[in-house]
Amino acid sequence: MSGDTMKILQVYKSEPTDDVKKLVEILNRDRDADEFKLYIGEPNYDILIQKIFANDKTVCWW
Amino acid sequence: MAADPNKFGIFVTSPQHMRHILGLTRAAVHAGKKVMIFFTFKSVHLTKNPDFYTLTQLCDLEDVAICADSYICEGFDNVNDVPRGLTDKQMRTQAFHGAILDECAKYIVM
Amino acid sequence: MESLKVYILIANRVYNDGIRSGLGLAVENHYSFPVIMNGEFPRMSNYMAENIAWIADMEGEVLSCGADAPTDLPEGTEITNISLEELGERMREADFIIPYGLPKQSHEPPGACSE
Repeated sequence: MSGDTMKILQVYKSEPTDDVKKLVEILNRDRDADEFKLYIGEPNYDILIQKIFANDKTVCWW
Repeated sequence: MAADPNKFGIFVTSPQHMRHILGLTRAAVHAGKKVMIFFTFKSVHLTKNPDFYTLTQLCDLEDVAICADSYICEGFDNVNDVPRGLTDKQMRTQAFHGAILDECAKYIVM
Repeated sequence: MESLKVYILIANRVYNDGIRSGLGLAVENHYSFPVIMNGEFPRMSNYMAENIAWIADMEGEVLSCGADAPTDLPEGTEITNISLEELGERMREADFIIPYGLPKQSHEPPGACSE
């Protein structure tokens, strides 16, 4: 893990449900959080790979 | 074994995201990373997608595997119908997923 | 090798195979926590019941979030109820979170696949 604060990336393959939003809110609390939406347009996978390698942890939701 | 900082793991559990799997693999290889991929359950249907062979060519042979039990459960023949790009040795168990978690510094579920 | 805490989230009735996948990690010495979301429970075959019991034997646990677990489970088969908030808090300690398969369907299954 880099630094004191965990860096977490939330990736969405579809529009998040209320349950997913709630879980993400808890997981992101007091952390350095980022997100990437795969369901909008043509995703830039180079940027996504950069983000994945820049974060400590990635969660990819349905 | 400590995770390799240059290895990226993809655990494929859905049968409908080949575009993302291929896009991520191409981008990871372009960034100088090695990619390990395991297909399980209904995602083994993606082995019938024309892009599957392309995907296998981006990875080392031993780094792509499918769950043999899943393949058989879905009605495919694991002896006479090994997907193009794989060998019968790449028909594996869930232990391959465990190896991805151990060996890859970064990981995503598709 | 380090034992990892892995949560496998199952939101779709067709994807209870996530429990078998969780067992696969448990036998590799990881802590496995399959979570059945919103009542998408599997058909309780002997195979499924054995897998759930085996995960518990390997210090993992099958959880139910958003619906009460069935009370008529076979002996030795336990599914523990957990709230969404508790699940979120527990998953803060996870090494890996795996939303498995497909999201919940918006429609109930038709007769052709409901049993």
